[in-house]
Order: sequence, then structure tokens, then C-alpha cells
Amino acid sequence: MMARALPAWLRSARVLAGLSIVLVIMLCAIFAPLIAPHDPNEQNLISTFLPPVWSKGGDPAFLLGTDSLGRDVLSRLIYGSRVAMLVAVFASLGAMLIGSALAYVAGYFGGLVDALIGRAVDIWMSFPPVILSLILMVGLGVGLRNVIFAIVLVDWTRFCRVLRSEVMVVARKDYVAAARLIGFTHWRTITREIVPATLPLLITLVSLEMGIAVIVEAILSFVGLSVSAQTPAWGQMIADARQYIYDSPWNLIFPILAIFFAVFGFNMLGDGLRRTLDVRLTATQRA
Amino acid sequence: MIATVLPLVGRRLLVSIIILLAVSFLLFAVLHVLPVDPAAMSLPPTATLADIEAMRRQMGLDRPLPEQYWIWLSHVVYGDFGNSIFFRRSVASLVVETLPATIELAVLSMIIAAVLGLVGGLVLFHLRGTKKEPVLDFGSIMLLSIPEFLWALFFILIFGVALQALPFTGRLDANLKLPQGTGFLLFDALAAGRLDIFWSALRHMILPCFALGIAFSPTFMRVLRSSLLDVYQEDYIHLARLRGLSERRILVHHALKNAILPTLSLMGVQFGILFGGTLLVEVIYSYPGLGNLMVDAVRNADLPIIQAVGLAYCVVVLIINTVIDSLYLVLNPRLRNR
Repeated sequence: MMARALPAWLRSARVLAGLSIVLVIMLCAIFAPLIAPHDPNEQNLISTFLPPVWSKGGDPAFLLGTDSLGRDVLSRLIYGSRVAMLVAVFASLGAMLIGSALAYVAGYFGGLVDALIGRAVDIWMSFPPVILSLILMVGLGVGLRNVIFAIVLVDWTRFCRVLRSEVMVVARKDYVAAARLIGFTHWRTITREIVPATLPLLITLVSLEMGIAVIVEAILSFVGLSVSAQTPAWGQMIADARQYIYDSPWNLIFPILAIFFAVFGFNMLGDGLRRTLDVRLTATQRA
Repeated sequence: MIATVLPLVGRRLLVSIIILLAVSFLLFAVLHVLPVDPAAMSLPPTATLADIEAMRRQMGLDRPLPEQYWIWLSHVVYGDFGNSIFFRRSVASLVVETLPATIELAVLSMIIAAVLGLVGGLVLFHLRGTKKEPVLDFGSIMLLSIPEFLWALFFILIFGVALQALPFTGRLDANLKLPQGTGFLLFDALAAGRLDIFWSALRHMILPCFALGIAFSPTFMRVLRSSLLDVYQEDYIHLARLRGLSERRILVHHALKNAILPTLSLMGVQFGILFGGTLLVEVIYSYPGLGNLMVDAVRNADLPIIQAVGLAYCVVVLIINTVIDSLYLVLNPRLRNR
């Protein structure tokens, strides 16, 4: 009875697994000051490179050990989730807004507008995404807002490309023509008829983009072009641990796992949503 | 066949050149809104404001942006990218030194990705509808969630630090000298008959190449699997089965030939992303290629290098895309009549 009351997408094991991983990380990010046992920037220079508590020499005060400056790894991981989640949410929504707006215009109107937008996408796609985001960060300067801005400017093409072909298919449907015939304006036709039909794809793309944004932020903060050194970020932790790989390999493992779980959560969610929301998939493909 | 394909390839080439021009302008524009002043940076700290102003005029920085772009472009056409502000050397020579290393890395990684993708796609397809499928599906999402730089770090931890089986810094062992030649180390070593250098270079490439290759293989696996599923719905597969051909023959001679096409066209796009992905892998493995040059330049705000390296990445991506698109035209007769 309970299960039947839930919408189909909430009954998917993939969606549930993905959603719970994402929720845990989100909660860590929101309540970081309450959960974290230490200040993430507090240095204990007498207890550097402490191993995690379960291995020999571990200190129960530092559950996952300490880094090169004696900072608590667990606290830095928890605070690092703030940057990752802020970037994931805002960068993917920004990329979605720009990319999908252009995709709706291009796919619906076609012709010259479509050709122009298509060329713009081609130009963008000839930049490897990592290189373009680096160059943009050089132009924009470091800082959380600029990281988000750079990812939006790089990744809008992902939405535009995929969604445009979907919009073209939907725009040729009879019910869209019918909407035009009964006097819907272009705006009303797009917002009332086409957007709802492409919403499942859009939601899936946003979910996948969140994972990509986490990776790009980690890459940028690894090379020191993301947030300032005062703000803990997973990529920064990796860059720091890479220098002391022989002293403390475990310092490298935890941020790697954090990034992996965040991306895995978003990918599971995206994959599950794609399977349950896409009305054209058959029952077997959906399972 | 060549005669029908050639005009299409020519048109593709023309489009690439136009895209390259647009890319070069974009690159130029983005980097000229920078808050740093290249004139002030190329002078000693004792320089006066008048010195800086004179330098600005000498470097052409006082002119309008389109004119500056035109001057830059007219030099670039002749291979003159100016001098690096930080290294005090010609940018072109720095790019020529590092580009082969990156191309070598990227091509080898792409081969690994393609082989793993082909094998994985066939395995996924072979096990379709069995009990193992959900497990494999779960595994492929997991693989998709591990970007190349996490593999790179992971491999360092396992094969470099824990097992100490493979080297993870640079291109060669410290006691070996880089042979003169094309810059493609594997090729140069063979040409010089130095098997020790070849072996050392290969060992240094194993970890970075596998990091990139494994990271990019799951996309190919999934696309190949789904295009094989599509192809098996076609009538000619049923017909082949009715003719009594073995399943293996149907797969290799009928299905795979058609199903490989979407994977091939995906490779163009993926190669672009992979080529960019070499950047971080190079940084992690201290591999002296374009990526390390780029990151150094970014840290020093060395504009001429950033411009040139950015353009170099785009040129390689456009060339690869043009080649793959042309190959696609040659292999897919259905597209030729358009």
C-alpha cells in the first residue's frame, strides 16, 4: 500500500540509493559547523600526519587523522562538501538555464537561429572542457562565484546539444501543431507544450551535470584555481596530500572517496531518473 | 568512392578552419579582459609608470582590441606566438617541445579506451538479459563516476607507492637522456635503436595512459552495447540467422560493422575531452607535456603561453574531429549521397 502511494520514480532502487548519498552529503554541507569535530583550519603542528583512528598510532580526537599542518581531515572533508555542493547545485542550474533556453529556441524555431546556435556549440566543443574552464578562471580570477560562472560558461553546451534534438522531435508532434492552431503564442506553446514534454530529460541532465560540476571544481581546486586557500575543498586536499604521498597515503584516499561518492550519487540518481521518467522506455529497459 | 567523399571532407575542413578562427578570437578576447598587465609584468620592479606606458605602446596594448587581435593573428600564421613572459623564450619552441609528449599520451590512452570499450561493450551485450546484467550495469555506473584524475591518484597509491612496481614521475628514468628527434619518445627511441629508453618511456606511460583509458572506456562500452541492441532488431540480422549463419559470424560480420559506427562518431567528441583530461594527469604524474606547461603559465599569468597552448589544444581537437568525421563518411555509405 505504501509503495503504491509513492510516484514511480521514488520506487526505483537507483533513485533511492543516489538520493540518499546526495542527501547525506548535502546535510554534511548544511550542518558542517555542527557535525565537524574541529575547526577545519585549526593547525596542530605537534600532531601532523596522524593516521586514521583504526590504524596504529591513531588519535581518537582525529577520527580520520591529520594532514601536513595537523589539521583534522574529517572536519576538512565535511567543510569541503560545502564548496562541492554549492558548485554542484548552482553551476548545474545555471548551465541548465542557459543551455536549455538556447535549445528550446533553436529546436523550436529552427532555420537561421538554429544554425547560429549550432555553430556556437561547435566552437565551444572544440575546446576541451578542462582547458576552457582553466582559461576562464584565468580571465575571471579565483573565488566560488567565478568557479560557478566558469562551469556554467563551459557546460551549457551539454544541455543545448542533447535537448535541442529532443525539442525538434517534440515540436513536430501533432499536439504542438494543435496548440498553435487554437491560437497559442510561441511563448505559450514552448512553456505549456514543449517544456513539460522534455522535462524528464532536463531533470536527468541536471542530475548528471551536478556530478560533472563536482569533478570540475575538484580539478580547478587541485591546480589552485578554485576557492581561496582559506576555504577547504576536496581538490585542494588532494593536491596537498599528493606532495606528502609517502608520509601519509591515507590523506589522499579520503578526499578521493568523497569525490567518488558525490559523483556516484549524482550519476545513480540521474540514471535512475532517466529510466523511470522516460515514457518511451519499455518495462524491461527500465528494470 | 574517393571522388564522392572528397568534396565532403573538403567542406568539413573549411568549417574547421572557420571554427578555429572563431576560437582564436574568443581566446584572445577572454584573456584580454584579465586584471593583470603584461607590460608591467615583463619589466623589472624598478620600472617607472612612464616605462610601463612605453612598454604598453611597444607591445601594442594601447590599440583597440580588434586591431591587437589582427596583429597577433598575423604573427601566429607564421608560427610566431611571441615570447613567454616567465621563461623568456619563444612560446612556439615551448609548445613544439611539449606537444608531442601530450599527443603520445593521448593517442595511447585513446587506444586503451577503445580496446577496453570494445571488449566491455561485447561482454555487456553478450550478458544481456542474464542475472549478471544488473551487477554489470551497477559496475558501469560506478566506473563512469571515477574521473581520470582519481584513477591517476589511485594508481600512484597502488602501483607506485604500495607495490613500487611502476614509476610515476616524468617521461624517463633519471639516468637516461632524452634522444634528439621528433619528440615522440617511443618513436625516437626505436629510431635510435635504444631499447632501454623505449622500455623506460613505456613504463612511465603505463600508469597515466591506463588512468585515462579506463576513465574513458565505460562511455564506449555503453554506447556499443546499446547500438548492438538496436542493430539486433534489424531485419538483416534475422535474415542472416535464417540463412543458418553462426551467432559469432552474425555478430562479427553483420552486427558489429554497423553497430561500431555510433561508437566511432562518439570517439571524436570523447577524444576532445580526453585530450583536455591529459592536463591533470600530466600534472599528477609530473609529465612534461602541454598540460604542465599550461598550468605553469596559468600560475605565472603568462599570457602568450596560455593563448598558444589553448590554441594548440583546439587545433589538435579539430584535426582529430575532422579525421574521424571523414573516416565516418568513408565507412558509412549511407551518408555519402547527402
